[in-house]
Formats: sequence, structure tokens, C-alpha cells
Amino acid sequence: MTFVTRKHIPRRTFLRGMGVTLALPLFDSMVPAQTPLAKTAATPTSRFCGIYVPHGAIMKNWTPDKVGTGFEFKPILKPLEPLRDHLLVISGLEAKTAGPAPGESGGDHSRSAAAFLSGARAKHTSGVDVHLNTTIDQMIARKIGQDTLLPSIELGIEDVGYTGICGYGYSCAYVDTISWETPTKPLPMEVNPQVVFERLFGDGANAQQRLARREEDRSILDSITHDAARFRKTIGPGDRQRLDDYLDDVREIERRVQIAVKVSADAPATDVPVGVPQSFDEHCKLMFDLQALAYKADITRISTFMYARDNSNHTYPASGVNVSFHGASHHGNKPAAIETFAKINTYHMQLFAYFLEKLRATPDGDGTLLDHSMVLLGSSMSNANEHDHAPLPVLIAGGASGRLKGGRHLKFEGNPPLSNLLLGVLDKAGIEQDSFGDSTAKFEI
Amino acid sequence: MYKLLFVCLATASISYPQTRLAGAEPEQGPLSARAFLNQYCVGCHNERAKTAGLMLDKMDVGQVAAHADVWEKVVRKLRAGMMPPAGVKRPDRAAIVSLASNLEADLDRAARAKPNPGAPALHRMNRTEYANAIRDLLSLDIDATELLPADDSSAGFDNNADSLGVSPALMERYLAAASKISRLAIGDATVQPSEKIYAVPNDLTQNYHVEGLPFGTRGGILIKHNFPVDGEYILAVELSRGGGGVFAGAGNTKGEQLEVSLNAERLKLFDLQGGPAPEEDTALPGLQVRTAVKAGEQGVGVTFIAKNYVQVEDTLQPYQRSMFPGAVWSVLPHVGSVTIKGPYKVTGVGETASRRRIFTCHPANAEAELPCAKQIVSMLAHRAYRRPVTDQDLETLLGFYQSGRNKGTFDDGVEMALRRILASPEFMFRFEREPATVKPGEPYRVGDVELASRLSFFLWSSIPDNELMKQASAGKLKDPAVLEREVRRMLADPRSEALVDNFAGQWLYLRNLQSISPALEEFPDFDDNLRQAFRTETEMFFNSIVREDRNVLDLLTADYTFVNERLARHYGIPNIYGNRFRRVTLGADNPRRGLLGQGSILMATSLATRTSPVLRGKWILENILGVPPPEPPPNVPTLKENVKPTDRSTETVQAPSVRQRMEEHRANPVCASCHKMMDPIGFSLENFDGVGQWRTQDGRAPVDASGQLVDGTKIDGPAQLRAALSVYSEQFLRTVTEKILTYAIGRGVEYYDMPAVRAIVRDASKDNNRFSALILGVVKSQPFQMRVKKPGEAQPGATLAAR
Repeated sequence: MTFVTRKHIPRRTFLRGMGVTLALPLFDSMVPAQTPLAKTAATPTSRFCGIYVPHGAIMKNWTPDKVGTGFEFKPILKPLEPLRDHLLVISGLEAKTAGPAPGESGGDHSRSAAAFLSGARAKHTSGVDVHLNTTIDQMIARKIGQDTLLPSIELGIEDVGYTGICGYGYSCAYVDTISWETPTKPLPMEVNPQVVFERLFGDGANAQQRLARREEDRSILDSITHDAARFRKTIGPGDRQRLDDYLDDVREIERRVQIAVKVSADAPATDVPVGVPQSFDEHCKLMFDLQALAYKADITRISTFMYARDNSNHTYPASGVNVSFHGASHHGNKPAAIETFAKINTYHMQLFAYFLEKLRATPDGDGTLLDHSMVLLGSSMSNANEHDHAPLPVLIAGGASGRLKGGRHLKFEGNPPLSNLLLGVLDKAGIEQDSFGDSTAKFEI
Repeated sequence: MYKLLFVCLATASISYPQTRLAGAEPEQGPLSARAFLNQYCVGCHNERAKTAGLMLDKMDVGQVAAHADVWEKVVRKLRAGMMPPAGVKRPDRAAIVSLASNLEADLDRAARAKPNPGAPALHRMNRTEYANAIRDLLSLDIDATELLPADDSSAGFDNNADSLGVSPALMERYLAAASKISRLAIGDATVQPSEKIYAVPNDLTQNYHVEGLPFGTRGGILIKHNFPVDGEYILAVELSRGGGGVFAGAGNTKGEQLEVSLNAERLKLFDLQGGPAPEEDTALPGLQVRTAVKAGEQGVGVTFIAKNYVQVEDTLQPYQRSMFPGAVWSVLPHVGSVTIKGPYKVTGVGETASRRRIFTCHPANAEAELPCAKQIVSMLAHRAYRRPVTDQDLETLLGFYQSGRNKGTFDDGVEMALRRILASPEFMFRFEREPATVKPGEPYRVGDVELASRLSFFLWSSIPDNELMKQASAGKLKDPAVLEREVRRMLADPRSEALVDNFAGQWLYLRNLQSISPALEEFPDFDDNLRQAFRTETEMFFNSIVREDRNVLDLLTADYTFVNERLARHYGIPNIYGNRFRRVTLGADNPRRGLLGQGSILMATSLATRTSPVLRGKWILENILGVPPPEPPPNVPTLKENVKPTDRSTETVQAPSVRQRMEEHRANPVCASCHKMMDPIGFSLENFDGVGQWRTQDGRAPVDASGQLVDGTKIDGPAQLRAALSVYSEQFLRTVTEKILTYAIGRGVEYYDMPAVRAIVRDASKDNNRFSALILGVVKSQPFQMRVKKPGEAQPGATLAAR
């Protein structure tokens, strides 16, 4: 079973053939393959979302006792109970690549975010020679994200802006993002909802102004491509190579702007978010709203989101706890401290429920966005007090366009690698391969 | 004379007791290079042992050019006193230096015969440079962090062309930035309200006066905010919740008053009631002012009227830091953040500095519009593209002007043209034109116009000004006298503070300070005030070397530094009051002399809970001796105590001293090979704790600050470390020069650059190692003035295709 993706002719290719550059009508073949489903008869679009929560969870308050269907919800997952039928609880996995290499110790927080969607162990470096693995969100984006305005969006809460090293000689690149476009190219997480909104819908007071500006962008890009040919001849071969790379990028943006012009025309009448909300609660919900909006308008089908960076000392007053996130995770096995941390875990799941409810409430073709999505949430740590990496808290929500069945608790014995599940997720997204990261088998989910 | 000689010898014999005893007299005559290598080096570095992959037994020391990369490494290790290693038979320093000098002379000769100036990759403006360029082009201060993603860095700097790549996502951001900035510069009456939050660090102590705010106030924040248009804005204040989310700083103190001001004019005074604070995650209601503000940069001040600097009478002795998560003593209210929202009710685009800069003419009638547009657009493109403007440029830009004009006003037309300029690759990238006649492998001088950009991005992190462009366009930068005059003019210009912010800021890790949070439990006095003071001290110190054109060696030995009250208290310097920084003289035995006594570097080379002799030793090896130790090999476990750094609570007072923990490094031979060089240097700074405070006790044990330099010199404490390092001033100068050159040319320094580095240092020594002499040396050096057409990259695809 694979996703149905209609091929479209890249606008650029088409124009080269025509020898003209502007004001072409939109032919059907240039319209993104997935216009809102209501208008087509094709198979529903699937969306993928990867959500990372650092610092693990209190597993005894997370893992249901019963395996299979009809399991009971423990306190942390309780907020998700109304979504039971859309939820898959997966227990017993291990993020082996978040742990130290044999003979090593320490650095767990520096590798965990990197390991989550890559199944790979971060190369130990603080330099530019970072190396990981292409993450599954980006593999899926290559498969189903190439026709939308943005192949994927990457969102976070905590601004980075650190330079150099993020502990134990690991580059901050491993800590700042969970999404890697290639093994050497981490994608930055955007924290400002206003910036995200503008990327999705354009910059302007209203749809009309946003549309006008996108048209202007398009003519600027055309003009740049045109001019570049002129001075290309005057520069050295090294520079020329870079210029060509740049021009490829310009063409890619041109293609996206072309789509965007269309999208801007019927962008939602949502209020433009203003700046970064100071309250985490508000900020997090806004980021979830934006993802739902982006899916709904089919501006992107892939998103990743980080609740926090590892070692985050954010506090969550709305959870009723005033201890910092990382501080609370080192509960020292003291019962009261364990309860405190569990409250933070529960709070994070309340927000996740908010997102899933939002998806469920948004109609999409013959169902809802939740029916047509696959949302993977998890951590690369289990008991953060010990920095261990098994058994992990992992959930998958959504129907993946009929390919996933919820209401189940899958439990794996012997702590197999998380990569086995990632391989199964890829499978559901129509990417069939035999191995991924440190996988030892493919899990059918 | 005799007496003086004796003193020198005596000093030397303290530093090098064994070598003096071992071989002073018998080896009077200089050894031949080969004999030296055979006697001291090939015991390890031979074909069989291959120690460090180096085989000196078979290499022809008469033909250094054949393996210049290897010999440069040899020279470096010799100069840094690293080889032969301490503990084995070593020749005296003079013999080592003599061998190094001979090798260098050969290497330099070979380089002269076949120069290789290298070629930096195509340089994209980084975020800082972009913001500066906008400032200089449009008189507009932007917050580039909101518009563009952070840049990667390599070779220690974020202006390294290799790591300044491009991607569709990045280009999209530059395109969006061009649109936003052009609107902001011209003024956009349709601008939507937006919101900017200025957060005050939650470990900022606000019990004292903040510089720039009125006297008689305490704490708060002074903001320079760019208001996009004339209109109404809301200035909203939230009080601090303290470190742990508790609403601590709302103040259990009655009668406090909060002042909100605009350009030092009071807008409103709020009376705070004190009392228990709400626990909800909401702002205190009502702490906001709605007011009309003119477009452009304005100062917003939020502060408290100073009622009394004395703390509320509690039984506990408060720390220097005023706010703690869950503090049990009373605190005065603190400002947590200020949010500026708006504009609402736009009344006009206003008369801003950027409009004055852009609109050099105002068309009186329709006829005058196009000529005026042409004048404006030529001026902007000339500076933005940093080259003479061509007719084709104008044609393109005026086309955009016209399309904007057709849809709106004259201003809209100029805005469109400006947007096109800012989106142009010729603004974002520093293309260097290549003469058509150059063959691959051939070095050539970059043109004057390109050199102007190299100069301005080096000294100002920004675009050239008109004066520099004038000299470049006239082809006068080839004249060394003109070039020197321009460099001195640029150094004297305030824009050269970019060297402090960007060069020193990265070289000395000052930029990292903001992200370092010493553990509260270990360093309860540490607050943001101290963090900022550390940074300011080192910035002012470095700036004094630049402004006063001092000997660069003063960086290690200067008899002065800069402190304010907070820092002076931390350092134990008496009689310094107030928040203003001032120069203080340090006595001969004052441990604060030079960079190695400054809190910034001492903290940046510590862990959150304790000192790290490893990081400190590494810093000195890398930044003073120029021999960075390699990264730890994979699969080497870190020290046990590091596994759970936050589990401090379980540590008891019997915790081993840092020195004892480091012993573990020696137990493992793999670790020991590097740590035996790093750790003992770091030990000598053990009197400075993890936040650079002087101490004589580490836990229960007295501090043991004895260690040794890589050459085996025994050292005890910072003063002896400084003295021992003074032997290596030549090496320090080279290291600084390498760093400056790396930063100047935007690429890593390679072995083939070392002859240039040595020449720069040699020439500067004739001018007392002055800062300007090093800068001029760099500017006049081959790597800065020239580039080589890389062989083999001419047509990478062509040869393949031909087959």
C-alpha cells in the first residue's frame, strides 16, 4: 500500500520549454497534487507529525497494565482517554542510539533529540562535521511533501542561539532540532508563531495584501534568475558553483511561491498571531493550531515539534508545578518528587490532547484531519532520573488514512530498538525499506 | 652588565633546571637539524613506532617544501614547548628555537618561491553582517535574530565562508527579510500590529541603579525599540516571577513605585500594593501604558523609584543575587518583561532616520519623479552592491520602481526597488570577480573594489562606506600608503567595535556567557549582573588594546582592568561604587592581571558545578600556545561524576577534590596522553572557582594550585603561570595572528598560510607588537590581498563528460 501522489510538472521545467517567464495560467498539471480533498476524488492525503518530549516520563503512571484493546488509562495518559479510538500506545522500546556508545558514558541529553526520529547515534563532534541520519519526517516529506508550498515545517518552543557546544563535546545541532534533511543538514526549529504564520500564509494585513506581496516576490525571483546569468561569467568557478546552488534554491522558492499565490488567495481568516506568547501554555497551543491550519490548507503535510530542548529548565505554572522541567526529571526516586514530575508529564499530555481534538474537529475530505494523519509522540528517555533509554513512552495517534487502527496497546518484550517502530511508521507512509537506523526488524503497527 | 646576565641566567635556571644541568656546556655549538632530529625526535617518530603518525627518520630535512604541512606541525610543537615532551631528554630552549627558526626560514623561502594565497569560498553575509549592512545602508537598526536563522560557525567563527551555506528555507527568509526591511525603512502605514517581548533575565538582581536609567531609580530595563510608524503603542510591564515560576518579585513590599518612561520622559508612575501575589500564570493587571509614539528608534525605560536600598529586615543574610526560586526572604519587586505592542491608530509614516537617508531628493512634480528615483536607486545600489552601478542594474531597478509606482505612490516605487536590491545575490553574497586571463593554480590580486569589501567586512563586519568606495573605485587601494591610511581611519571609526563584538566575542567565548548558568546551589551569589559584568570587563579590556593601540602581549599581562561595583566586590577590589565601569590599576602580584584573571574566561572554562582544569588547560593550549589538543577519541568514557551532573544533592561533603577526580585521567593511558598536558596547566588556576572568584579552600581541602606547563616548567598559581607563559610570547602573537587572519579571510588558516603569519608577527615586532601593526600586517598579507584560481575545479563536469 502506498500513498497516491499525483505527479505534477514543475513550473520551471515547463517554462524552460516555453521560453517565457511570466503570467502563465495555472494548468492542471501544475496545481499541487493535493488540492483540498473536497475538490478531488483521490485518496485522502496523509499527514505526518513527529513530536518530541525530552526527559522521558514516570512510566508506572504511563504504561497501561493491559495489552491489546480495552486497556485502562494511567494518570499521565488520562487526558487522552476521550481519543482512545485514535490512539496506539506502544511500550517496551529502547532508544539505543540515544545512549552512549559501548565503553562510553554520559552525554545522554546531548544525543536524545537527535536519536528520536533518526535511529542513529550522533557523531561525537562539536564542529561543523555533524553527522546523523536523515530523519523519518524528511523521508516522508520527500515522498508526500514535494508538491505543497512547504515540504515540511519544524516548530519549537525554546529559542536556541547558543553557540558551539551543547554538553559533552556534542554540537548544539543535535540538541536544537529533531529534524535532519540529510545526515549532515539539521533543520532549525522555528519558535515564533508570527514567523510561522507568515511562512504559511504570507506577510500582510489581509489575504489580498498577502497575495499581492507574493506576486511581487515572484517577479523579484524571476528578475534575480534573469540577472544572475549575466554576472555568472565574471566570477571564479568556485563561486560559480555556489551561485548555481543558490539559483536552484531560487527556482525552488519560485515554484513554492507559485503555489503560495494560490494558497494565499483562500487563506483562513484567522488572526495573525502576534509575537511569541510568554506563557508556554498559550505558545504551545498556538503552535499546535498552526500545524492544524497548515494541514487543513494543505500548505504542508509534514511537521515536527519539540516541547522543549533537553536539559530545559522551563517551568510550567499551568501544570500546577513550579519546579523546572529538567530539575523535576531528576526526582531521585523520592515519591513526592516522582509525583511532581508526573504532573508535568500529565500536563504535556493535556496539550497533546488539545492538538488531537483540534485535528479531530477539522473536517478533511471524507473524514477529519485526525483520520488522515499519523502523529508520533515520544521521548528518547524513559526514566530521566537515570538517563536510561528503555522502556520508552511512545504514542501514535491518528488513522493514517485508514491504515492505522487505534484503541490498542502494543507491548514489546526485550526492549527492541525504537528504529523498528520508525521502520513501521515509514511503511505506513508508503516508504518500504528493510532497515532504518539501528533497526533489527520491522514492526507492523 | 655581568650582573644583568646573571639575573637572566638565574631566571632561566628556575624555569629549566634539568635542561641547564643536563646539557648546557657540552652542546655549545648548534646541532645540525638532522642531528637534532636523530638525537631528540626519531626515538618515537620513526617508521616503526609511527608515534602520532609522524616519521621523521626518513624525511629529508633539506627539502621541507616537499612536506610543508608536516614540517609546519613540527615547528608548531617545537615553538609551543610541547616537543620533545616533558620527562624525556630535552635540549635547551635555545636549541629548540634555533631548529624551529631554521625550519621556518626554509619554509618561508619555499613559500616565497611558490606563493599560495588560498581561496575562500563564496561568502554569504552572516546574520550580524547583514544587520550591520542594513544599519549602514539605511540608518535602520533591525533585530536580525527575528528575521534570519542563526549561522553555523567553523574554525571558531561564524563568518567562515565554508559554513555559510544556502538552502531554499534560508533564501526564503532572506526574501521575506528584504520585504519587511524595505517597508520598515520607507514606512508602511498599513503595517499590522505586532508584539515584541523584552524579557529581563530572571537572575538579574534589580536592587541597584541600572546605567542609562535616571538616578534615584533601581533595577528595570532600558530598551531601544524601533517603532515602525507614528501611532499608538501599548507598553506593558510584567513583574518577575523569580527563577522558579513563583510570583516572587511582585513584591511583598508595600509602597514601591514603578515608572514607565519614553525617551527619559515619565509616562506613568504605578503604585504597587505589595502583598501576596497571585499564583496564576497571568500578568498583574493594569501595568500598561497606551501612548502615541513617533516612528524610529526610541528609548523605553521601565524602572522602580529607589525607596531604600536596604533589604527588608529579615533574619537571613541575603546573597548578592536577589531572587531565587522559592526564596524564603522578602524581595523587592523586579521587572520580568516589557512587551511593546502596536501600532494602533497609525497617524503617519513619520520622519525617520532611514527616510532621511533614503530620500535624498523629493520630487516636486510628476516630471521630477523618475530622475529622483534614479538618484536614490543609484545611491542605494552602489552601496549595497559595493561596486559601481551599471546601466543594466539601473534598468532592472527602475523597472521595479515603476511597477511599485504604478500601483501606488512614489514612495511605494522606491520601496519596490529597495526590496529588489536587498533580495539581490549581489547584496547577500560577496562575489569576487576573476580576471579572465588567470590560469588554474595561478595566484592573483583581488580587485580594489573587492578588496574594499574584504576590508570593511573584516574591520566593521559591514559594507564599505563612501570614502572607502571612492578610494577603491579610483583604484587607489593598491597604493600601500592609501591602504594604510584607510585601515587606520577605519580602526578609529566606532564601527570597528565590531572587532570586539564579533572577533573577541567569539575568540574569547564571550558570546557563550549568556548561555552559561552556574549551579545555584554551588554559586548562590552569581547573578546576571555579574555575568554581564564579566562580558563588559573583557570587552572593554580588549577594546582598550584596540583603541590605545597597545602591545598585544598586554592581553596577558596588562596592569589594569575595568570593573564596576558588582565586579569589584566579586574580585575583592575595594572602594568601587556604582554601576559604571572604570579602569583600575592592578599591582604586580595581582592575580587579576591579563585575560587569565578575568571572570569571563574563568567561567567559560568551568562546568556548572565546579572548575574544569581540563577546559582551562585546553583554552591555554589552544589560544595562547596555539596547539589545540585533539577532541577526545570516541569510546572514551567521561569521568564518573559527570554521568549525572544534576544529582549533586546526593554528593556529600566528602566529595573528592577536583584534582583527585582528574587523577582518573592518568589511570587510562589513552586519556593520559592528552590530559597530562591539559590538566596540569589548568591546576595552576584552581584558586579561581567556577565563577572566577578567588578561593583558598576547595571543599574542605586547601587549594593546591601546583601544576606544570607542557615543557615541564613547574608552576604554582596564576602569577607563575603568567610568568611561565611569557617565554612563549612569540607563540602567543602567532596564535592571535592566526585567529585574526582566520576571521579576516573567512576561512580556516592552513599550513600554507603560516609563512604569512610569521611575516606579520615579524613585522609587527618592529612596531612593538601594536594591535594596528598586526591588523595592517593581516591586511597587507597575501591571503588577504590575493586569491588563487583553484586548479582542477575549472570544469568539474567537463572531464567526466569528455570520457
